[in-house]
Amino acid sequence: MSKNTPSENHSGSSRVKKVVVLTTAMLTFIPFWKAAAVVLCDFGSSAFYAGGIAMRAFGPAFPWYILAVMLFSGLLLMLELEACSLFVRGGAYKIVREGLGDTAAKLAASALIFDFILTGPISAVTAGHYLSGLLNSFLELIGAHFELPGNIIAVGFGILVTMYFWRQNVKGIEESSSKSAKIIAFSLAICFLLAIWSFITIALNGAHLPPTELSFSEESLGWAGGIDFMQTIGLVGMIMAFGHSVLALSGIETLSQVYREIEYPKAQNLKKAAWLIFGFALLFTGGLTFLSAVIIPPELIATKYNDNLLAGLAMSMAGPNLLKLLMQAMIVICGVAMLSGAVNTSLIGSNALMNRIAEDGILTDWFRKIHRRFGTSYHIIHLIAAVQVAVILLSRGNVYLLGEAYAFGVMWCFVFEVSAIIRLRWKKAAQKRDFMFPLNIKYENYYVPIGLILLCGALVTVACVNLFTKQIATIAGLGFTAFLFAVFSLSERLNAKRANTMFEEGYRERINAETVDDLKEAFADLDRSHRILVAVKDPENLYHLEEVLGKANADETDVIVLYCKPVENILYRQDMRSAAIDEQEVFTAVILLAEKYGLPVTPVLVHSNDAYYAMAQAAAVADAEEVVMGVSGRHGANPQIERAVMTWGAVKDQELKHPVTLRILWEGREVSYRFTR
Amino acid sequence: MSLGSLISPARVLMVDDCPGKKELIEALIRLVCREYKQLDPADVTAQVLKREEGISTTLDTGLSIPHARLEELTDFAAAVAVLRKPLRDSSGCELPIRVMFLFLSPAKPAFFQQHLQLLSALAEKFKPEFIEELVSLNQADEVAARLAR
Repeated sequence: MSKNTPSENHSGSSRVKKVVVLTTAMLTFIPFWKAAAVVLCDFGSSAFYAGGIAMRAFGPAFPWYILAVMLFSGLLLMLELEACSLFVRGGAYKIVREGLGDTAAKLAASALIFDFILTGPISAVTAGHYLSGLLNSFLELIGAHFELPGNIIAVGFGILVTMYFWRQNVKGIEESSSKSAKIIAFSLAICFLLAIWSFITIALNGAHLPPTELSFSEESLGWAGGIDFMQTIGLVGMIMAFGHSVLALSGIETLSQVYREIEYPKAQNLKKAAWLIFGFALLFTGGLTFLSAVIIPPELIATKYNDNLLAGLAMSMAGPNLLKLLMQAMIVICGVAMLSGAVNTSLIGSNALMNRIAEDGILTDWFRKIHRRFGTSYHIIHLIAAVQVAVILLSRGNVYLLGEAYAFGVMWCFVFEVSAIIRLRWKKAAQKRDFMFPLNIKYENYYVPIGLILLCGALVTVACVNLFTKQIATIAGLGFTAFLFAVFSLSERLNAKRANTMFEEGYRERINAETVDDLKEAFADLDRSHRILVAVKDPENLYHLEEVLGKANADETDVIVLYCKPVENILYRQDMRSAAIDEQEVFTAVILLAEKYGLPVTPVLVHSNDAYYAMAQAAAVADAEEVVMGVSGRHGANPQIERAVMTWGAVKDQELKHPVTLRILWEGREVSYRFTR
Repeated sequence: MSLGSLISPARVLMVDDCPGKKELIEALIRLVCREYKQLDPADVTAQVLKREEGISTTLDTGLSIPHARLEELTDFAAAVAVLRKPLRDSSGCELPIRVMFLFLSPAKPAFFQQHLQLLSALAEKFKPEFIEELVSLNQADEVAARLAR
C-alpha cells in the first residue's frame, strides 16, 4: 500500500503537494566467477555419476569419452556465448522460437523439460548413493558385518532433497551465488587434494592408461544391436560411446539462465565465465574420472563403485584407511552439496522454462497461477516436483537406468538451438554480436557459419545414434516430449484468446515494489561516489538510458532510474494524464536494458503531478551529478531543458555541493546545461 | 547579466484585474516593443504564444515565465507584471499566476546557455516569499528597485 507523505518541497509550492515513492527491487549483478560457480554446481555435478554410467555402458574406455565430452562442452559453451550475445531473453526456448518458430520452440522446450525433470532425480539419487557408500565404508572400517541398502537410502535421500527444494522454490527462496561459489571453491580444493594423492598413488603402485577398446553391453547397444551398419568398432562405435557419455553435459544449459545476472562488461565477463566453466569441468569431471579409471580396478568400478565413482577413487588410494575414509567423507560433502544444487537448478530451470512458455500464452491460467503469499508459480513447481519424486520411486535408486533415460532432451534441444542460431545469422544479420562461434566465411552482409554447421552435424549425428542405442531415453524422451508438446498445443488452443492478449501486452517483469516514506529513504543504500539520475517515461524511448548504461562505470556510479506517475486526484493536464504508461511496462524495458549492460540500476517510481519537479527533487535528494532525460517527440529538447532549468531553480534552496549537468539525449545528439552553484 | 538590469520601471506593469493570460502577455510584449523598435509585436506575440502551447512555463510558486528566442534580438529583453489578484493559468495546469516575467532572448545558439541560466535564476529568485513581497508593493519603480537589489 502506498504511503502519502509531505513532499520534500524546497520551494514551498503547492504543486507537488504529495510525493509517493516506490522502489522496486534493486537489480544486482554478479561477477563472472560467481556466475561460473552457479553453472558448475549443476554442470560439475555430473562428475559424480557420468563415469560410472559410461563404464556400465561400454566398458573401461569410458574416461576417454568423458574427457572428449568435456572438450566438446567447450564448443557448446561457445554456442551459448553466441546465443547470449543475441540477447534474446529466455534461453534456448526463446532462441529457437526466434530462429525456427513456435512449433520448433515447443518441441525443444518439451525435450528440455524432460531432461530437467531427470536431472533432479539422477542428482538426488546419486547423492544418496554417495551417502550410503560413505556409511558402508564406515561400517566396514569398524568391522560391522552388514551393509546398508544403497538403493533404498538413495531413494529416501533423493525424495528428501527434492521435497526440500520443492518447498524452497514454492517459497521463492533463491540459493545465493555466493553459496555456489563456496561449494565450487571447496570442490576445487578436493579436486586438488585428490589429484595430488592420485599421483602419489600412481607413483607408488604404478598404473596403466585406460584401454580404448569398447565393450558394449547388450542393453547399451539397444536397437543398434540388430542393425548391421551400426558396428561397435570404428567411427560408429566411437559415436555410440560418445552418445552414452553426453550425460556428462548435464547442466551446461544453465549458462543461458545465469547470463542475465552477469555484471558489466557483460560480454567479456560471459567469456571469462565460459572459460572458467570449461577449465573446471575439464579438470574436475574429465580429470577425476580419468584418474578414477587409472586407479580403481575395473572390476570394482563395475560393481562396488559404479554409483559412487569418486568415493571409489578415495578408497582406492595408497594410504591408511582412516585417511581414505576422511577423504571419502569430504567427497561426499562436496558431492551432496553439488548434486543437491543440481536438484534445485533442475526445479528452477524447468519452472523458468514453463514460465517462459506461459508468458507466450501457451499454458492455461491454471499453470500461471501465482502463490498468494510467495508470488511463485506454485502449480508448475508442484507438478515438476511430483513428477521428479515419481521418477525417483520408479527408478528404485538405479542411477544407470536414470542415466540411460537422460540426454535425449539436452541433445535435441542443442540441435534445435544450433539450427536456430544458424538461421538467425541470416534473419538477424544486422544485429551486432559480441561473440560469434568460430569458423565463418564473410559473404556480402552475412557470416556463413561453417563452424556452427559442423557442430550441428555432429549434434544431429550423436542425437540420431542415441535414438538407437539409448532405448529408454528414446522411448521415454519421445513419449514425454510428444505428451508435453500435445499439452502445450492443446493448452494454446484453449487459451488462444488469452494468448493474443498476452502477445499484445508483451512480456512484463515482475516488479517488487517497496513503498518508502520519502526520497531520502529510497536513496539510502546508494554508496558509490557518482550518481546519475535518468528520467524515463516511454519504454520505446530509452536511448538516453542506454547511452548512460553503455558508458557508466559500475564500480563508481549509481544509476537511478526515475519514472514519474501522474497522480489522478491532483489537478493535472488531461493530455499528460492520458499519456501515462503503465509502470510495469516501463520498468520491464528498464530492467531488460540493465541486464543487457550488466549494470545495476535503482528503479524508483514517484507519484507526482509534475515530472520536472519530481526529477529536480529526486536529483537534489540523491545528490546526483548528472540528470539525463530523453527527448520528447511532442515538445522537443529545447522547451524540455527550459522547463527543467526553471523547475530546478524553483526547487533549489541552497548552494550546490558540486556542479550538476542536465542532459537531454537523442540519436547521437545532446542538449545540456551545467548548474555550477 | 543580472535580472535587475533587465527591468526598468517602464517595463513593470502593476495589474489590479486581468482578463486573461494572453492579454497580459500581449501587454508585456507591447512594453518591450516600445523600446525595441526592430520587434514586431504581433510576430513576438505569435512566437511567445506558440511556446506557451508546449510545456508549461508557469511554476507552482506563482511565477509565469512566457518566453521566446527571437532572431531580431542581439540582447536579452524583459518586462514584468505584478498581479494583485491571482490569475488562473488557462494553458491546462490551472496554477495561479502572481507574477508574470516576459523573457525574450536572442535566437543565436551562442546565447542559449545564458538563456537557460537566466531562466533558472528567475525561478530561483521568485520564490513564494519574494513574490508576496512584490505583490505587496504599490508602485512600478518600487518593483524595479526591489528586483535590482
